[in-house]
Amino acid sequence: MFGSRPKKRALRLFFATDVHGSDRCFRKFLAAASSYEADVLVLGGDIAGKGLVPIRSDNGTLSAKVRGEEVSVPRAEEDRLRAEINRMGFYSVVTDAQDIERMENDAPYLDDAFLHAIVEQIEGWCRLADERLAPNVRCIITPGNDDPKAIDPVLKSAPRIESPEGELCELGPVLMASCGDVTPTPWNTEREYSEEDLGRRLAAILDDAPPDRKVAVNFHCPPYGSGLDFAAELDPQLRPVIRGGRPSIVPVGSKAVRDVVKKYHPVVGLHGHIHESRGAQRIGQTMCLNPGSDYAADVLRGAIVDFAQDGSYIDFLFTTG
Amino acid sequence: MASSSASMGGKAVAGQGLFTRQSSGLVRELGIPAATGIALASVAVVNTFINFNAGLVLFNQADMTLPLLVGAGIWLVAMFAYKYLLEAIPRAGGEYVYLSRIVSPALGAMAGISICIAFTYILAANANFTASYTPFMLTALGAALNSSAISDAANNVTSQTAVAIISVVMLLVVAAVSFVPLRRLAQVILVLVGIQLLAFLVLGWILVTHSHQDFVNALASFSNHPNAYNDILGAAAKDQIPLGVSIGASLLAVPFMVLNYNGVLYAYYIGGELKRPGRTYLYASVISIALLVVVWTGVWLLMLNTVGLDFMQSQAKLGANDATAYGAITSLQSSAGGLGYGLVLSGDPISKILIGIAVPSAELAVDLAFVAVVARVMFALAFDRMLPIGLAKISERNAVPVNAIIVAVVAGIGFAILAAFVNLSNIVANLALFVALIIVAGGVAATALPYRRPDLIMKPGQTELPRMAGVPVPALWGAATTILASIVVVLIVTHPEVFGSFSVSSVGALVIVLLAGPVIYLIARQVRLSRSSIDLRLAMRELPPE
Repeated sequence: MFGSRPKKRALRLFFATDVHGSDRCFRKFLAAASSYEADVLVLGGDIAGKGLVPIRSDNGTLSAKVRGEEVSVPRAEEDRLRAEINRMGFYSVVTDAQDIERMENDAPYLDDAFLHAIVEQIEGWCRLADERLAPNVRCIITPGNDDPKAIDPVLKSAPRIESPEGELCELGPVLMASCGDVTPTPWNTEREYSEEDLGRRLAAILDDAPPDRKVAVNFHCPPYGSGLDFAAELDPQLRPVIRGGRPSIVPVGSKAVRDVVKKYHPVVGLHGHIHESRGAQRIGQTMCLNPGSDYAADVLRGAIVDFAQDGSYIDFLFTTG
Repeated sequence: MASSSASMGGKAVAGQGLFTRQSSGLVRELGIPAATGIALASVAVVNTFINFNAGLVLFNQADMTLPLLVGAGIWLVAMFAYKYLLEAIPRAGGEYVYLSRIVSPALGAMAGISICIAFTYILAANANFTASYTPFMLTALGAALNSSAISDAANNVTSQTAVAIISVVMLLVVAAVSFVPLRRLAQVILVLVGIQLLAFLVLGWILVTHSHQDFVNALASFSNHPNAYNDILGAAAKDQIPLGVSIGASLLAVPFMVLNYNGVLYAYYIGGELKRPGRTYLYASVISIALLVVVWTGVWLLMLNTVGLDFMQSQAKLGANDATAYGAITSLQSSAGGLGYGLVLSGDPISKILIGIAVPSAELAVDLAFVAVVARVMFALAFDRMLPIGLAKISERNAVPVNAIIVAVVAGIGFAILAAFVNLSNIVANLALFVALIIVAGGVAATALPYRRPDLIMKPGQTELPRMAGVPVPALWGAATTILASIVVVLIVTHPEVFGSFSVSSVGALVIVLLAGPVIYLIARQVRLSRSSIDLRLAMRELPPE
């Protein structure tokens, strides 16, 4: 009635990215396997949160600033308070005034506190994946530029998680190449490389793919000028640049990623990094997707991607859950 | 080049009790002022001056004080129901996303498509109304500027062609402004709302500083008819127009006033762009409702004092039903209602200009808000592949759904031209019923929410929803909204002479509009299944967060 029959689905992948420490988004990510009937879950980087809220403990009462407002609860409600703080993707730590002062003045100490919180959360997530996922569902988590490199061994050692960063990963009908590296950002985060270096690193992964196999790429950085990489232009003080009375919006993706996509013709490109630039764009034969991110509103943006037995891409559907 | 020992650049955020680390990303979100602007603009604050008059035409012996307060109460109840919906599903699309995620995709599609069609028609109707109001505006401006040329021009913009041209020009202006980022659009809307509020204040001031006798004298002077006030009362008595106050009539006017507030909660349609959606929405809605109650009730009471209820009832009925008799006494446009009283009493040009431009400002703000709403609903439908995916395209520069805006405005222009030349009143007679049904739909979604998707509203750490008498609190607000909105629906259906008669064309139009959504959903789903391995229904599944 409506044209030829579609190819039969051999693999369904659910891709999400940039959850930035949001427990609720991660739980939704795990739930996506059954809700969307996915065979493989892929979380494509920037999983670490950006903020740490100290909770002061005093005479059985816990106090913290939640979204700028002072909140006090009995110690019995610690879990609820921490969960509320985490709705912005922030970590929390129960501490005292002396410790808070040290965090304010001792940068390495604050770094350690962050790292401890990040690793603790990721270890918890790995356990949660173990508890919640059906045995036949694969869960792949790769880092992004906002994730400290210290999380890599944590992810790699988790029994229920796969983290093929910088590698090819066998998904059955299709291979997947993953890389969380990006080109330089104004924030000077980890995993930033020049276009030339990034191009070499990506090519090194894809060169290992057998020529007769179809490949999907899970590159955190979107291709330059693809429409998946538009963000506000920033001045050196990280303030939006205003031109003609409006914020200047510019492409901030990677030319190296774009060139690699054009050269190697992966069937699908899975990208993130730029939260506000959700979209789909075909580059040559490659369907490039950036589902975007809205983690601060507890919303998990994602994409369902279906592959046929021969590794070819069938279709995608953006989701908001 | 980064290394594993790189510093995270951590620092304390002053006064926030928060430490942040160096990481990328910016977030752009709308706050309470922007949401309030959208809500107030959707209502057309100043139109109530005119709607008071329309209400007096429709309801014998009605006093608007009770309907104003009861109507606000109904919207306050609905506000809490929508707050839970927005917290559960903080996204653009309103009833479409709520019903499709909580109740059924087909029902959601019914709400989504019908809202797109009906609200696009309202866009056009507002543009037509502005065009038909233009003569009054020119009269007021002519009086303010002592320009007979401007006053005379009022007579040249009454033809159907003039109405069509003015409507199209207005919608083109709306389109141009709608392409700016929503935050900037909200600022424009706030300015327009500000003009309306200023007009209200000026009129309020005029009413406060003039006595009843001042009005009687001013009307005589304006009309060049020494006894205009009493002659209008006399003509009304001759026509046996019932005067005074009847509680029953005032209660019957409640649905009318509920519809008058329609739009005051519309910030939920842009839920996907609100910062801290539940809180922002609640504050914006409370501010909007409170402001409207104070301003509208205050001005109504002032009009009762200065103009008099008997006169307002007489003028409204006489102007609508016996225009010849009315026109023989005064040239004051009866449908202008309170604005007309202000025009009669005002002695300075600034007031006259404000009175003249208040309604066009209101209609412009309404259309800007409705384009934003319709475009977001279209975006949500297209994002779910219910409509062509191109409608979900977002402008990189301004972050607005450009194609959806274009479609909304083009359809609005089509409706506006059609309505200028063809009498559509029979076809759209049941629009009031549709608007009330949408509130029912929101109430049903909120009632079903804690039973069908409790996981979406459960706070972190909560194991059970708060209950009253064993019923989840969100369901109580939803049920209360459903019941109140259903009462409004019953009053609308049982009083077709007031709220729109039922004919084959009006009922047929309503049925077509309501069924369009489910039909489109079924077609879109089958087309997709025939071409793809992904069922459309997956896009409408809400993920459990716990």
